[in-house]
Amino acid sequence: MSAALLPPPPDGGAPAGEQGYLLCEECDAVYRERALGSDALLRCRRCGATLARGHGLPLDGQLALTLGALVVFLIGSLSPIVTLELQGIHSEATLLEATRETWQSGAHLVALLSLATAFVFPLLVIALRLWVLLPLVLRRPVPLLAPVMRLEHWMLRWSMVEVFMLGVLIAVVRSAGVTHVVLGAGIFAYMALTVLLTAVYAAGLQGLWALAEQRR
Amino acid sequence: MPPGCRACGRWRSSADERRTAAPKARASPRGEGAPRQGGPVNERYPVAADLGLIGCGVCALVVAAPRGPGAWRCPRCGHGLHARKPASVQRTFAWLATAVLLYLPANLLPVMTTASVLGRESHTIVGGIIELWTTGSRELAIIVFVASIAVPLLKIASLALLAYSAQRRSRWRQRERAALYRLVETVGHWSMLDVFVVVLLVGMVHFGVVASVQPEAGLLAFGAVVVGTMLASASFDPRLIWPRDDPHG
Repeated sequence: MSAALLPPPPDGGAPAGEQGYLLCEECDAVYRERALGSDALLRCRRCGATLARGHGLPLDGQLALTLGALVVFLIGSLSPIVTLELQGIHSEATLLEATRETWQSGAHLVALLSLATAFVFPLLVIALRLWVLLPLVLRRPVPLLAPVMRLEHWMLRWSMVEVFMLGVLIAVVRSAGVTHVVLGAGIFAYMALTVLLTAVYAAGLQGLWALAEQRR
Repeated sequence: MPPGCRACGRWRSSADERRTAAPKARASPRGEGAPRQGGPVNERYPVAADLGLIGCGVCALVVAAPRGPGAWRCPRCGHGLHARKPASVQRTFAWLATAVLLYLPANLLPVMTTASVLGRESHTIVGGIIELWTTGSRELAIIVFVASIAVPLLKIASLALLAYSAQRRSRWRQRERAALYRLVETVGHWSMLDVFVVVLLVGMVHFGVVASVQPEAGLLAFGAVVVGTMLASASFDPRLIWPRDDPHG
């Protein structure tokens, strides 16, 4: 059963959005929706939660950032993160190799957990965002909009690229005592990915929902 | 007359005016001061239920709260509509109990074994931090201490406090509790740090008999603590920090 949509706001004023209402997701306080300038931040007066954020980045800008994130993600996960050298033996490791080694050592669940949070979920976050952004930029309706956006909403919580990057730094320091460590392209790609993903997240899903609804 | 306030953006809904016209016959069951006659139930802030609204928990679409029984779905994203997350406090406590139980093996059992020509050595989470501290990278030792020891403990304590006070419908330091919840949500996933460190060391250090690293059982327990506390904070509904005056509300 679908719940009914709302009538326009009762004051008769021109609503900023289609609905005209804005609810604080953390305390249920009601506000009137309003147009936000770029970089504006609306906070709930009652609990202090962020109500809405002005997204200054246009759609093609978001698309560019997300495509950039995809490129550095592929570089980061396919090229070696570090090369260790011990008594003339070289040992390279990519993220996928590290999880495979962990799997083969018998720690299956831990291998799956790190593969999911450092590889699968970030990849899904990027891929699903592209799925929505590409048709929007081309001014077409987005296929499978609702399931894709819902999946993206859940994936955001479990994607941990920035934690993984700090983990790389600590693993490098801990192995530097016994071996000679050379940083690979992967670690720099992951640093760039952390920055790009932060920018992509900041644009938020709310603006995309509103735009995708218009194009339906 | 437009009921909305142009200055602050708030308005009185038709539902409020109905309430003003026909005040509730029965007095406030708690007997708090003068009986309220209309107006938003929550003194200064109109809340969703006052206006008969409900917000989708996934896409944040605001819809008229559906009346009548049945599983109502959001018209935009299709997610189930609930005024509050169902069984929020119970599920938070259940995940917290899981995390607390696994906290002991996570910290007592070794998370990895290093093997070299000098022999085998097991490392716990705390052992790894001491190792980082003594080998000179004190800043990183502090980061790992915060991520692996301080954050999980504070998270468990904070969520227990939040869930307990929500269950008691407490009005104690509501703004601070709301801020505490946001902090828990923000820092929660950083505890995965040590899981990644061990997985990376296992992948990086494989020099046959000269040096290798094996994951151990403690790592799984530690990862489960992190996932358990993340699920606990995802289960908690921060709107429970703000109970309505109506005991049934």
